[in-house]
Amino acid sequence: MTPDVLAFSASPRRHGNSETLLDWVLAGMEAEGCSIEKIVIPEVDIRPCRGCNACERLNRCVQRDYMDYAHDRIIAADCIILASPIYCMGLAAQAKILVDRAQVFRSRKYVLHLPVVPPERKGKRVGVFLATAGQNWENVFDAAIPSVKCFFHVVDIPNRDVRYLMINGVDEKGAIERHPTARDDAGRLAREVAARLREVLAA
Amino acid sequence: MRDPIKVLGISGSPRRHGNTETLLDAVLDGAARAGGSIEKVILRSLDYTSCRGCNACHKTGVCVIRDNLTPLFDKIADADVLVLASPIYSMGITAETKGLIDRTQFLWARKFILKNLYYPDDRIRRRKGIFVSTAGLGWENVFDAAFPAITAFFNTTGFDYWDNIIANDLDRYGGIEGHPTALMEAREKGQRVVELLLKMGEESELSAPKT
Repeated sequence: MTPDVLAFSASPRRHGNSETLLDWVLAGMEAEGCSIEKIVIPEVDIRPCRGCNACERLNRCVQRDYMDYAHDRIIAADCIILASPIYCMGLAAQAKILVDRAQVFRSRKYVLHLPVVPPERKGKRVGVFLATAGQNWENVFDAAIPSVKCFFHVVDIPNRDVRYLMINGVDEKGAIERHPTARDDAGRLAREVAARLREVLAA
Repeated sequence: MRDPIKVLGISGSPRRHGNTETLLDAVLDGAARAGGSIEKVILRSLDYTSCRGCNACHKTGVCVIRDNLTPLFDKIADADVLVLASPIYSMGITAETKGLIDRTQFLWARKFILKNLYYPDDRIRRRKGIFVSTAGLGWENVFDAAFPAITAFFNTTGFDYWDNIIANDLDRYGGIEGHPTALMEAREKGQRVVELLLKMGEESELSAPKT
């Protein structure tokens, strides 16, 4: 069974550092036999959550946009990857739009008490968070992580099944190419996640 | 006669007149009672895009995007008190609020790369930033991941991050109106910040050399 990998690139800068990191991971996973799909958030129409809470009754969002497609893909995928740069100590606004629109999954799970994925697929999905930051500070990713955990949690990927690769000190476009370990780290992560997916999907 | 203290409230909630905006209104109400001139901006009603990450401002100090945030940054520069309000969605501020904050990159670039923007300490001391937030969850740590971006925002826009006016557990209280203290506290703090700035203005007038 071919693992189905769905990746979201949140950066408004095409082919910048976070997208390059993502591309390295995706190339590695493709080489390991995964099928991959990359959605570039700034190039599709995903509007912010309106906070209307209608999904608590309707079990779907009242907005009709690209999230209709992304929603179904999020459920179907075996692996979901979110890649975002850190802007002002947090996820880029573009990434937060996707995270906030996952509210429909939260309503499904906690208000309507319906499954997000069928029981037999629980524990068989893997999440990956990739991030880059211009600042060198050790703590530059800390405030992004709670929202990332929320996102994966509501789509039934518990934190123990989420992998993190976060590279700081890369600012100008292309800086990640000169990072001493980022490319190798991405390759290693890709192999590890692909192996895990093959194992759980075969079980 | 001295100019009134200018208080700018910005609501980053997509929902009109919900918990966060109601709490913001209470702050502004208190500020008005103390004589502040207040203005409220609703981000959701503005037409703006997020930062494009193009870094052009690192060279020019100006954002390449001209939209409804452009005049808002002038208002922010002119305010004495800046009250930024956002509900907590998924353990963070809303995408709308983050969209505003990310667009301050041009000010960051002017401060740290071009070095043509400098807020003297005395000026920062006279400009107060307040973060207003609400959360449905009762977790103690539900606001923690919001603070770093808010700190960055007030630093970049030249405000002293004076206080938080935050209320969690609103799902249990049935909304902000059901919270035992939040609205009263918000009114008090709104009033107090204006009184504080008026007092600081008087003190500096007294100590200023007579001309």
